[in-house]
Amino acid sequence: MRNLLRGRFPGARWLVIAVPFLWMLVFFAVPFAIVLKISFAEGLIAMPPYSDILTRTDKGVIIQLNFENYLYMVRDSLYVSAYLGSLKIALISTFLCLLIGYPMAYAISRLDPTARNIALLLVILPSWTSFLIRVYAWIGILKNNGLINNFLMWIGAISEPLQILHTPLAVYVGVVYTYLPFMILPLYANLVRLDPRLEEAAYDLGAKPWRVFLSLTLPMTLAGIIAGSMLVMIPVVGEFVIPELLGGPDTLMIGKVLWEEFFNNRDWPVASAVAIIMLLLLVIPITIFHHYQSRDMEKRLA
Amino acid sequence: MSAQGKSAAGARASVSPARSDALGRQDYLKIDGVSKDFDGFVAVDRVNLLVRQREIFALLGASGSGKSTLLRLLAGFESPSAGRIELDGEDLAGLAPYKRPVNMMFQSYALFPHMTVADNVAFGLKQDRLPRDKVKRRVEEMLALVHMESMARRKPHQLSGGQQQRVALARSLAKSPKLLLLDEPMGALDKKLRSEMQLEVVNIIERLGVTCVMVTHDQEEAMTMAHRIAIMEGGRIVQVGTPDEIYEQPTSRFAAGFVGSVNLIEGKIEDDEPEHVTIRAAGLSESIWVGHGHTGYEGMEVVLAVRPEKLVVSKERPAQAHNCFQGKIEDIAYLGSHSVLHIRLDGGLKVLAHVANSRRWASEDFTWDEHVWVSWHDLAGVVLTA
Repeated sequence: MRNLLRGRFPGARWLVIAVPFLWMLVFFAVPFAIVLKISFAEGLIAMPPYSDILTRTDKGVIIQLNFENYLYMVRDSLYVSAYLGSLKIALISTFLCLLIGYPMAYAISRLDPTARNIALLLVILPSWTSFLIRVYAWIGILKNNGLINNFLMWIGAISEPLQILHTPLAVYVGVVYTYLPFMILPLYANLVRLDPRLEEAAYDLGAKPWRVFLSLTLPMTLAGIIAGSMLVMIPVVGEFVIPELLGGPDTLMIGKVLWEEFFNNRDWPVASAVAIIMLLLLVIPITIFHHYQSRDMEKRLA
Repeated sequence: MSAQGKSAAGARASVSPARSDALGRQDYLKIDGVSKDFDGFVAVDRVNLLVRQREIFALLGASGSGKSTLLRLLAGFESPSAGRIELDGEDLAGLAPYKRPVNMMFQSYALFPHMTVADNVAFGLKQDRLPRDKVKRRVEEMLALVHMESMARRKPHQLSGGQQQRVALARSLAKSPKLLLLDEPMGALDKKLRSEMQLEVVNIIERLGVTCVMVTHDQEEAMTMAHRIAIMEGGRIVQVGTPDEIYEQPTSRFAAGFVGSVNLIEGKIEDDEPEHVTIRAAGLSESIWVGHGHTGYEGMEVVLAVRPEKLVVSKERPAQAHNCFQGKIEDIAYLGSHSVLHIRLDGGLKVLAHVANSRRWASEDFTWDEHVWVSWHDLAGVVLTA
């Protein structure tokens, strides 16, 4: 089949490889280059709202790089604390997702095949509705006269409503709720492939249940843990909608800052610099993720 | 197939007296009325068994016969619906798998893929919180026992099937279990390696004096490795005995047919004397003469089981008074060491006869459609009533 294809269309192989590369070039590399360029420009009240870093003169082209935007982020503590705030929320919610997701994935992987598929469907089902609607729904649950507060007051546990909405707690609830499936699915994929006889062998050799988990199940599903953690952590760092809707003024996340720089301050160069720094921060976990994923893939092919 | 079984049984017969002397306590493992049902499906049905100390005992049966469930009951992965299991006088009921002095070598080994060979063998010892140097010494000892010292740092996926099996055996023996369980021990090996490993595994187990229960569907494996065999069918034990007893003295049609091939000749007892019995079979021109008495009655329906290698095929009428029948060769299967002749006797009965090819080109002695004489000794057959 492959030889047949190659014989008739010698370029077919290159074409197939070229499509994803072209996609990445047009929709990732080019926009990134533009953002990078803007981050070195000066802000202007004009259209577009930034200066050109290339100036053409009679003698040639002058490149003017403005590092002011990057220095600005170091000088103003807002940005540093926003980055740290984002990382903190991302790390804690990843850990919470792992804590909740692992037992769920484990339980699902031990069900019989029919029940397993239903359980997986239930995990994915919420994402069939719009993400925005689901986050709005949490406002209805968490607000002062929302479901939780009304219920707690009805049973007499509290006399006045708890402030949950617009607190960091609400952000954690929203983030964990939204990203939990991204943790469960890779964990499940790993756990379901785990031969139950390995666990039996460990029991048989005298390992108590928690020892079996620590010395066998956990290390053998490490690839799933890393994949799930990265799938949760990377997008949460740049998350904007959840802190905007559920968080309060004290939930400082870089996604929100980015939005404000672009649309409220209309300072495109600073906003671009914020985006570039965020990307650099994420390169490290993305590299780890990629490393483990390709290793896992190779192992499966071997 | 049965010729191989026979030679294995023959070899065992000369060894087993010495072996049974070495066996200890008669009821080391006591399985007493054990049943297991899964939502109404009875996998193991009132099984009683005594396994001696230092004995290698095989549970032989087809898939679904309950042999694997019985093994899992011994390991503690399942708990019996009824009955008791005692090991060395200790009741195993309610004892979790990790608390039992029982270790298992799993089918396809279940080696831990993320651990080295040495770590796999050390795993059980570490659970007992043995000091590090003791664990190390024991691991070295076990790896030396299975000739895998040089592979200690390898990962399981870097080993061949036979090597993986050695590691699995070392791992299951490292804790000196009171009872070793083998689940289809040779199932993942190719045929040539299988017969080598069968003898090696038996040698190691006997050297250590471990009591062993193995499960297999391969009769040759059971006969080669085990001191005694229990044939299982439908969750029940059909027959227990040494390999030669199972082969030469089956107690039922199922047992006779399950191990080796057999000619089952149905008939009625015609003449029941103290020192001989004659059987009238529909497909035979004259009655069968059995050279021993039978506790039955005249007219009783019986089956005579005669192994194909006990039939003698000749061109001339043999010089014996009874059990000589004429027939025509319908088919010949040449298997190298012996040929299987399908012979239609003149009365209409079809029998299988094995002819050993003891000379070169001996298979050319007989040909299709040839008229031959088939005979057997007065004591060659077993009279079955079940």
